[in-house]
Parts: sequence; structure tokens; C-alpha cells
Amino acid sequence: MVLLKNLHPPTEGVRHEQAETTAVLDGQRLGCGTLYVAETRLSWFDSSGLGFSLEYPSIGLHAISRDVSAYPQEHLYVMVNGKLNSEANSDGGDDDEDEGAITEIRFVPSNKAALESMFSAMCECQALHPDPEDDDSDNDFEGEEYDVEEHGHADIPTFYTCDEGLSALTQEGQATLERLEGMLAQSVAQQYHMAGVRTEETKAEFEDGMEVDTAAMEAGQFEDADVEHW
Amino acid sequence: MAMVVNSIRERTITENSMVILLQGLQGEVTTVDLRNESTARGRVVNVDAFMNVRLEDVLYRDRRGQLTQLQDLFITGRNIRYVHIPDHMDIMKTIESQLAKIHRVRNFGSEGGGRKEFAKKTK
Repeated sequence: MVLLKNLHPPTEGVRHEQAETTAVLDGQRLGCGTLYVAETRLSWFDSSGLGFSLEYPSIGLHAISRDVSAYPQEHLYVMVNGKLNSEANSDGGDDDEDEGAITEIRFVPSNKAALESMFSAMCECQALHPDPEDDDSDNDFEGEEYDVEEHGHADIPTFYTCDEGLSALTQEGQATLERLEGMLAQSVAQQYHMAGVRTEETKAEFEDGMEVDTAAMEAGQFEDADVEHW
Repeated sequence: MAMVVNSIRERTITENSMVILLQGLQGEVTTVDLRNESTARGRVVNVDAFMNVRLEDVLYRDRRGQLTQLQDLFITGRNIRYVHIPDHMDIMKTIESQLAKIHRVRNFGSEGGGRKEFAKKTK
């Protein structure tokens, strides 16, 4: 028997909300409710407020099923690693997963045309939760590009990598970009001397055409400097 | 369909791992073996840096051997054991062409692309 908890539907980061959606958990119909595809978790609640939440790292796959010979209604199929109500269902649920226990959930919306949006929203949210236990140590940052997020300048806004992105800059952003590019142009001329600090690395490594990235590194260095003194 | 690489971090991960080969499978029909012994065969729509694979027009065979057709399928990277590379694919060429795509994006500005008002003043 499935224990439904009295949880609260998410209010932030909801990429898709689908009302009139029946949830079927391991073949058991839980009734009609609303599916919330949020960035933090996937949840479903019926009209009385009872429901369940799924953490994206526990979701193995999701799919759109239109094969009525396999299941009589078109639905969103979600396969969860482990069993829903076991205590081991959070990140440390290795025992369950070694046994290969899974939970199959079907979300059957009354509006079948919504399946594609539900599926896409889940894809987007799933991508926000990459596997932290990935053994591949090559995923550590070793590349040439300077990753601002990794170096702690998280307050600097997202970087654009193409023409559309450049035109999306606000007026202030454009002015900042021009100022930084001016600084960059001067710094290239001065080679290794930047405000009296000699840098060891070859500047050529960062001259990869991704203007905003390189400039941002310098922006971090000169946050408290008076630019007019160049 | 253009390759979708969403961040500097993803580009770095991609060009430093074999995921770059899987990204070259876009448009190909192939089989993915999952860690739970099920398999999925379909056309590759997208593979991201975390090895999440999106397939369309899929024939999914579960652990018990039961077959289901799925219109769209998203498999979390962590759940994948193998991705089959079609025999007709030239692996080295695929990797090289994927790397070239990444470098084209990265060098967009210096090759004269982008809005002219943001072009470098000195070269």
C-alpha cells in the first residue's frame, strides 16, 4: 500500500503544471490530481493535498507512451530507481538499487496534447541534476576556457556565446562589455603586466575569441579598481 | 538539428571525455543498454555532457523482455551501461567533427562573426 504524505506543492521553479492528471504507481491508481514539474523535484498532489515527491537523481528514465497496446491510455512514464516508500530511497539507496528494485509511475493527463510539454519540462529539470557520483575524474575542470562559476565569481551573470546573446545585453551591459574589451585590448598590448601584477600564464591561452569569458576574469581582478586610471 | 551545449562547463566536460563521440550520434538509430538490463532502440535526438540520452521512436525492452513502443524517451546518464555505436560510423571522424564544432563556437568572435559594434578594435 502506498503511503501518501501531506506535502506542499512547490511554488518556485515550476516548469510545468498539469492538472487533471491521474497517477498510477506500480499499477495502483492513486486518483486524479496535479503534476508539478519543478526544478527541485517532481511532485503530484490530489485535491485533498495528499501526494508524493520524487528527487530527480532517483529517476532513471521518463518517456511518452502512445502505445495503447502496452497500456490503454497515452501517458508519461517515469521509472524510479528503488522503492518509493523505503527509507533508502534518498541518495544513499545503494542496496535497493543493487537489487534492481524500481518503481514504475504513469502520469495520465486528461489532455493528451500536454504530454510533449510535460516530457520536455522533465528533460530540462533532469539535466539540472547531473550525477554527483560520477566516477569519471576527467570531468574535473582541466580545459582552457576559464569557467567563472568554478572560480567563485558566481555573481557575474550568465555568459552568452553567440550573436543573439550579444544583442540581448542591456544598455548597461553593452557599456560594460565595451569597457572590458577596451581593457582587454590594452592588456594584450601590455603583455604580462596588469596593474603591476605579473601573470605567469601565456595570455594566448585565453585568446580564444570568447571575449566575454576572458574579460570577466579581468573584471574579477579589477572589481575595486578605478578604471579611469588606465 | 544543432548541437545544444548549454554552458562553458558542459563544453569543457564534453571535449575532455568520450561523451563527445555520443554527441556525434545525433540522428542515428542505435541501441542503449541500461544498467537495469533493459534496452532501448531508437533515433538519437540529443546527448548532453552528463550523458543523458534522448531518443525518439523507441522500441523499449524491459528486463523481462517485454516490448513497448515509446514516442520519446529520456534516459538519465547514470542509468546507462552501454551505448552501441552503429557499424557504419567512422569514430575518429565523428570525434574530430564534434571537436571542430565546439571550436567554431568558441572562436565565433575572432573569426569575424557576431555584431560588428562588438568586434575587437585591435587585433
